[in-house]
Amino acid sequence: MSAAKLERLLNLTALLLETPRPLSAQEIRERLRAYPDDTDAFRRAFERDKEDLRAMGVPLTVQDVPGVVPVVEGYRIPKDRYYLRDPGLTPDELAALRLAASVVRLDGLSASEGLLKLGGLVGEPGGGLGLAVGSLPGSNVGPLFGAITAQLPVRFGYRGEERTVDPYRIEFQRGRWYLSGHDHARAAERVFRLDRFDGPARVLPGPRFERPAVAVPGVQLAPWQLGEGEAIEARVLVDAAQAPWIVQHLGAGAVVEERPDGSVVVGMTVTNRENFRSFVLTFLDHAEVLAPDDLRDDVVAWLEAQVGAA
Amino acid sequence: MSRRAPVVRTSASDRVARLLAMVPWIAAQDGPTVDEVCQRFALSRRKLIEDLEVLMMVGVPPYTPDTLIDVIIEGDRVWLRFADVFARPLHLTPEQGLALVAAGSGSQGLPGGEPHGPLATALGKLAGVLGVDPAEAVSVTLGESRPGMLDALRTAAAEGHRVRIDYYSYGRDERTTRTVDPHAVYADGGAWYLRGYCHKARDLRQFRVERVVDIQVLDETFDREAATATAGDTGAGAEFAPGPDVPRVTLDLAPEAAWVVETYPVDEVNDLDDGWRRVRLAVTATPWLERLLVRLGRHARVVEADVSDLLTAGPRAARRILDRYRRG
Repeated sequence: MSAAKLERLLNLTALLLETPRPLSAQEIRERLRAYPDDTDAFRRAFERDKEDLRAMGVPLTVQDVPGVVPVVEGYRIPKDRYYLRDPGLTPDELAALRLAASVVRLDGLSASEGLLKLGGLVGEPGGGLGLAVGSLPGSNVGPLFGAITAQLPVRFGYRGEERTVDPYRIEFQRGRWYLSGHDHARAAERVFRLDRFDGPARVLPGPRFERPAVAVPGVQLAPWQLGEGEAIEARVLVDAAQAPWIVQHLGAGAVVEERPDGSVVVGMTVTNRENFRSFVLTFLDHAEVLAPDDLRDDVVAWLEAQVGAA
Repeated sequence: MSRRAPVVRTSASDRVARLLAMVPWIAAQDGPTVDEVCQRFALSRRKLIEDLEVLMMVGVPPYTPDTLIDVIIEGDRVWLRFADVFARPLHLTPEQGLALVAAGSGSQGLPGGEPHGPLATALGKLAGVLGVDPAEAVSVTLGESRPGMLDALRTAAAEGHRVRIDYYSYGRDERTTRTVDPHAVYADGGAWYLRGYCHKARDLRQFRVERVVDIQVLDETFDREAATATAGDTGAGAEFAPGPDVPRVTLDLAPEAAWVVETYPVDEVNDLDDGWRRVRLAVTATPWLERLLVRLGRHARVVEADVSDLLTAGPRAARRILDRYRRG
């Protein structure tokens, strides 16, 4: 970009920030005295400048110029929407953010753009950390995050059906992004997998929604709890060799009993019997459903059908 | 009509964006050094001077000297005056906010991400800027691991210390103790992995950190540079692709078993009647196939196997598990 164009964009931004009322294109042309004399060339250059500013996220608003007949469109940049509130980050905090951003990257999104606005690049990127993270998928996530912070509904196709959702939270778990929010048509909270969206989500202009007063629960990925069935408390015995893994997976709070041989009994709340059976069987003969009887019988009957078929 | 190249447009916005971020920072300081400005805003000295020259021509009407930005360079320091119109940087776009918040969330279990450390307080302060508490809006989990395990592994990798790990191999369904020269620790597809030279296998191996039950960092060291070079470790997280010498099995899968195709690498998929599909899969370890078959039950049928033993893997495993239930 030429210095002249850079100068013009900066002066245009300053002019539209300072003006007390919207300015028409003609007024902008006269005040800046930086555009070509030819009217068509001016229009083209002005259109490009507007595009450039909008691409950077400059909140360029279009309103009628007051008191002018016939109506003429005018432009300004509201300061309250332009200025970044100062979070007052310390150098330590800036460095911590930079380090984090160098380890965890999102495809197509730049962390340094944000860092520059918050006070610049401080500290060292995470070269010496000895950790690497393949970048996470980033497409489609930015607009959803924007809608969450602006508290605006989004609309998207989901497995062939159009959904309108008040977005509350996005989560990256086990390699995938999920969106939780309030589904308008179903009048209930739902979770959506972003990789199952039919296309990009559209942010609707309104109405603004209120976030729930209580914290939005995290995405529930335990397969034995994916279901609307009655909740059953199950007890599962897991052998010593596999015990550390199940304890880590379910959390120490799930341990009901630790036996002297190193095996553990864990408690699981089950609402989906098929998925529960499938999960327990991943331990092969190193785990056993102890209770209740009907879940235990269910596993036995499932296995007997396979032995009979052999 | 010529189309404008997108590359040029991006860099145009980049330069403006950088200046709009830099001006308020310099103006708020009392004469930072040119070097410091260059470092913070990732600019060369020459580019910075070019940008400052442009700034001298920027201001508000009527563009008299007192309404233009005043740039003073004295010795090695720089001051800006009359830059009130750019008193604050441009707000963060959703994408810029997300990039930071997601990185912060994902890094919270990592060194520097302690609950009350600078990363946590930084994210707390960003809540005010974003209008929503990042912890409420975004959560990034890179993978499971036992407390302290990631730190122990990455320190050992960084310092070139050999480790002894107690490892549960899911595929083989066995727990083994192995001595490993840790080359790298990385996250991929929702899990953490350790890549290194395994002395038991005498080859490069990848281990899922969540299945490392225990770790002992040994006094023995290894030459990290030399080891990664000779072991053919190219660094990147290699995609798991079973070689041609791994036995294959052909299964017919009911529609209920469609997840198998999404979850495991398959050589071949063919549609059959009634939504059934015929797939060919690599079997890296027998327990892996046993587990798959007992879970699928009537939703899978073994059609063919390179090794005849695999044909009956399902019923055999089912009987073994039943024996346990009958004892119990």
